[in-house]
Amino acid sequence: MLWFSLLVLIPLAAVVVKSAEGGWGTFADAVTNRQTFAALRLTVLTSVGVTALNMVMGTIIAWVLVRDRFPGKAILDLVIDIPFALPTIVAGLVLLALYGPTSPIGVHAANTRLAVFLAIAFVTLPFIVRTVQPVLEEMERDVEEAAASLGASRFTTFRRIILPTLAPAIFAGAALSFARGISEYGSLVLLSGNLPYRTEVTSVRMLTYLEGGDTASAAAVATILLVVALLAIVTLDVIQRRVARRG
Amino acid sequence: MSIEVRNVTKRFGDFVALEDVTVSLPTGQLTALLGPSGGGKSTLLRIIAGLDTADEGTIDIEGTEATNLPARKRNVGFVFQHYAVFKHMTVAKNVAFGLEIRKRPKDEIEHRVDELLRLVHLQQFAHRLPSQLSGGQRQRMALARALAVEPKVLLLDEPFGALDAKVRRELREWLRRLHDEVHVTTVFVTHDQEEALEVSDEIVVINEGRVEQIGSPDDLYDHPANDFVMGFLGEVTTVNGQKVRPHDVDISTTPILAGAAQGTISRVLRVGFQVRVNVLTDGGEDVTVELTKSHANALGLGEGTTVWVTPTPGSIPRMVEKAG
Ligand SMILES: Nc1ncnc2c1ncn2[C@@H]1O[C@H](COP(=O)(O)OP(=O)(O)OP(=O)(O)O)[C@@H](O)[C@H]1O
Ligand SMILES: [Mg+2]
Repeated sequence: MLWFSLLVLIPLAAVVVKSAEGGWGTFADAVTNRQTFAALRLTVLTSVGVTALNMVMGTIIAWVLVRDRFPGKAILDLVIDIPFALPTIVAGLVLLALYGPTSPIGVHAANTRLAVFLAIAFVTLPFIVRTVQPVLEEMERDVEEAAASLGASRFTTFRRIILPTLAPAIFAGAALSFARGISEYGSLVLLSGNLPYRTEVTSVRMLTYLEGGDTASAAAVATILLVVALLAIVTLDVIQRRVARRG
Repeated sequence: MSIEVRNVTKRFGDFVALEDVTVSLPTGQLTALLGPSGGGKSTLLRIIAGLDTADEGTIDIEGTEATNLPARKRNVGFVFQHYAVFKHMTVAKNVAFGLEIRKRPKDEIEHRVDELLRLVHLQQFAHRLPSQLSGGQRQRMALARALAVEPKVLLLDEPFGALDAKVRRELREWLRRLHDEVHVTTVFVTHDQEEALEVSDEIVVINEGRVEQIGSPDDLYDHPANDFVMGFLGEVTTVNGQKVRPHDVDISTTPILAGAAQGTISRVLRVGFQVRVNVLTDGGEDVTVELTKSHANALGLGEGTTVWVTPTPGSIPRMVEKAG
């Protein structure tokens, strides 16, 4: 508990105190600034979208990795972690090479909101795969067989038995994925172009404040992100409990 | 005949798990599939349930050709060794699962679940989660869950295998009584011959993927078809070249028994109310004799005592088969 406090609570408190130092006025100014608001909205909405996509795709990929047999499976299993293991700026370079002006696959996402989406999707992919995978591996096959012998179709078994079992893992991964999404910087700064009102994300906006010596505004934005993250975690937890109980 | 298994063969790669197995299991009976570990009992049970498919052969359930039916359409109740509970559902929900899938009316489901929980003595645990039950209670819940859909046959794969000896014994007696009440055709797998002899109407002995013998418990015990069945159903010892059960050996301290072999006691071991005596005969046989403690005391048996042993008249010995 002490360790947790030192590691997590004190820095968090520092940010909140810092933002409060500027007084309510600075805080309100920072938040009502149209450019900042646009950045916040883009960041949060994109993270929500990416997280929703990850919940579906991540679960499917985990399923394929655990249940299917195919050549190259071990390699895929390794590749999943690459977005996670790469330094984010390297990830940014990779994305720029792939989707930038010289895209070899013909997708030109540079300087668009799609770039933000792709970058966040890229770096957050492993989260749900890696939280769901061990739970799937531990799940006993005889539970599914029991459902089948009681007359359940594959779909019913998935919805009523497998999904409620996986729900805690899916939502834990989603919380991580969302938190990473709203704080992402390195991987999207190259490809997105950081155009104010269009592709500028919150972390870039905060950096601008800091470069301008406006620490109080940066801290204010940080506090808002903190609140958003907390809200997201609580919401996800509430939904998770519903799904797990529904069975 | 309720379940007809005809010429079923099952291979896992090169390994033959079942080889040309034919059995018919009569309606309303409690049948045990008995055999050593790895013999193919679970495989056969899973093929009957549709959880595995046979490479060759056919399965009929209550006159319906079921060979190619998926598990969910066979209307077979299956109970697994490790309970296979739905962890996130309460006991009542677990039991209701099959009925909910069949979209039965709510009040009918409630009524039936209540009835079943009463049957397995779990009515006071209806709202608990399976993790809050003991192993024996979980297995009773699994049994109620399987019975809820009124299956044509009930299949149990070592249902009490994960429980301790005392609970096992209680539950097997309870299963017998339950079967007499419910009368659903039941097949249960066990590698415990005592369990099979005690509760079943009929025993199918399976070894190395083949059926060794089918018969009533008495039949199998008294007239084993071969050495394997004899050895598997109980201990065997050899006296004067004849194979008998250790409790079918007469022992005396004087040579009054006709044709008895003379020997010396090499070991005396007391197990509860029984005494096991090892006799080394002059003919070189190591004979195991089982007798009650009071009998052994009356004879004054001890290590080094000279005794005479012979198969009890009226017991059914088997001649030792010549090698080859
Ligand atoms: N899915 C499988 N793949 C490969 N081999 C298998 C598979 N299932 C069973 N076997 C083999 O088939 C043989 C019979 O297995 P089975 O589970 O039917 O034995 P059993 O009689 O139930 O034994 P036990 O009493 O230990 O449960 C075993 O040698 C086992 O290794
Ligand atoms: Mg088995």
